[in-house]
Amino acid sequence: MIATDKNAIKTDVLVIGGGIAGLMAGIHAARQGVGVLVAEKANTKRSGCGATGNDHFMCYIPQVHGKNMEPIIAEYYKSQVGGFSDHALASIFLRQSFGRVQDWQRWGISMRPKGKWDFSGHAFPGRPRIWLKYAGHNQKAVLTRQAKKQKVNIANHLSITDIIARNGKVSGAIALETAGEQPVLRSIHAKSVVIATGCGSRLYPSPTPGWMFNTANCPVCTGSGQAMAYRAGAKLVNMEFPNRHAGPKYFARCGKATWIGLYKDPHGKPVGPFVSKATRALGDITGDIWSDVFTEKFKSGDGPVYIDCSSTSKADLSYMMWGLVQEGNTGMLDYMAAEGIDVRKHAVEFMQYEPFLVGRGIEIDQHAETNIKGLFAAGDPVGNFRADCAGAATFGWIAGQNAAARAKRMAAFQDISDDPHARKRIRLYSGIMQRKTGPDWKEANQALQQIMNDYAGPRGRSETLLQAGLTYLKNLKKKTTETLAAGNAHTLMRSIETLDLIECGEVIFLSARERKETRAKHVRLDYPFTNPLLTDKFLTIRKQNGRVHMHWRDRL
Amino acid sequence: MPPIINAEKCNACGVCADICPTDVFHVKKKKTTPAIRYPEECWHCNACVLDCKQEALSLRIPLPLMMLYVEAKK
Repeated sequence: MIATDKNAIKTDVLVIGGGIAGLMAGIHAARQGVGVLVAEKANTKRSGCGATGNDHFMCYIPQVHGKNMEPIIAEYYKSQVGGFSDHALASIFLRQSFGRVQDWQRWGISMRPKGKWDFSGHAFPGRPRIWLKYAGHNQKAVLTRQAKKQKVNIANHLSITDIIARNGKVSGAIALETAGEQPVLRSIHAKSVVIATGCGSRLYPSPTPGWMFNTANCPVCTGSGQAMAYRAGAKLVNMEFPNRHAGPKYFARCGKATWIGLYKDPHGKPVGPFVSKATRALGDITGDIWSDVFTEKFKSGDGPVYIDCSSTSKADLSYMMWGLVQEGNTGMLDYMAAEGIDVRKHAVEFMQYEPFLVGRGIEIDQHAETNIKGLFAAGDPVGNFRADCAGAATFGWIAGQNAAARAKRMAAFQDISDDPHARKRIRLYSGIMQRKTGPDWKEANQALQQIMNDYAGPRGRSETLLQAGLTYLKNLKKKTTETLAAGNAHTLMRSIETLDLIECGEVIFLSARERKETRAKHVRLDYPFTNPLLTDKFLTIRKQNGRVHMHWRDRL
Repeated sequence: MPPIINAEKCNACGVCADICPTDVFHVKKKKTTPAIRYPEECWHCNACVLDCKQEALSLRIPLPLMMLYVEAKK
């Protein structure tokens, strides 16, 4: 059974998700003197991709980089995160990024752990360095403390499932309390809403069959922000482009790591052209910008590819181990110690992980607002800007400020009673809980993963494959909607995550069909060329009154 | 299966269950040692290990996730 708490929550600003973007949005909104609720489905102290830490923060510091920001912007576009960002947003981000670094330093996250601004790692030889090395192991605890200090109301174990918008304006949301065995539905009135739901994992099969939570990024960040924004009529953008990370083979949690070594083939020959000795300043960037190397060397029979740290200096190895702790990879370090895996003498095999959604999704303007008035987005679910942790911090801050300003301008809450969209969604969730038998979320999630992999996957796409896959996905969606069963709050939450993933999958299929060229990791087997006419062209997609609208626009 | 709770060290404070990003734990009754209800949903992030003041928690990495390594070439 699903219970309903008739007492609606009222808040000036609702922030969906208490990761880096969400907490930064909450803190800045609260500083403008409005009421803020951060709804987090886990606990803000340890949730999202930054749960146990991070160690690289992209930023522009004039005293380090010089007064001219242009070379830093150029470097941003060449980096692993800069491919699909609007120029205007990239520029705003870099200008404001140092302000956020200073905030974090003041609040207790060590942004200068070695006593100076240390730009190292993820860098090309002979070029400016843009990633600030920092000690982020405590970042979520510090940001949570700061949010509480600013009187942000944090509701942990409160999952937002849907946004309520009327006449192109946001008015509230549906929430699900998952702390107890029985799920409890709540409605929320809000003048502004910030989506900060993180990335989209669990769309494609993980490296290990059946282990759906073996993901580099947070496995319960499931594209829900993109899905609920799309359902509310917001535009999504760049959804057709898969993004993939690389890291130690099979143990995907280690993917976001800061190894200082050389990528080598089994004969000990480096596979990339960048460095012949890895140092803390210049590791081997091959894995960042050519994550396909691990797959391609395997396919050609020249693999596997290993990371070899045996020629890294003792001092740099100790720096690397420190960096891995700051990045939150203590689970891997504990394992390596127990297994006797020693980076001084062992080479560890790497692989390319499955695609996930990051920097693909909700379209925002320079105020972090979507095409729905009062609906803002920041961090990984944004589709026209990406800078991972630093991007989340900076645009979270911007979203918080503008969400608060809008809430202040609004005299009253809008009516959300008897909303047809909300009614439909609540019926869907109640149905899932009421069914005594039926497939569970795992079946649905695995069915989705195999369709995504085979028909919209990294091996290549084509009109006929995409058309077939879309038909199968729609069948799966119908079947899932009509038959899915969950027994408690936890499994209902997972079921809704899976439905959101299916929604994202559908958008990926539609967008991938529309982009008739091969670009980046969007490989069209029937259009194997990159079309110059589509350079700097972004594809947006939105749904209005049940109809899908796709639109090409220039990169701004 | 990950994680593992040492019941002798556990003081049933419930922190691990509260902070787990993926809701792996289940507290049936307050002030009792949590159960590992959804072990296959562990992300191996180590948050529970880091936040347990009693040092009662450890992770066991499942076999399919074992890291693959060889002697580095000289």
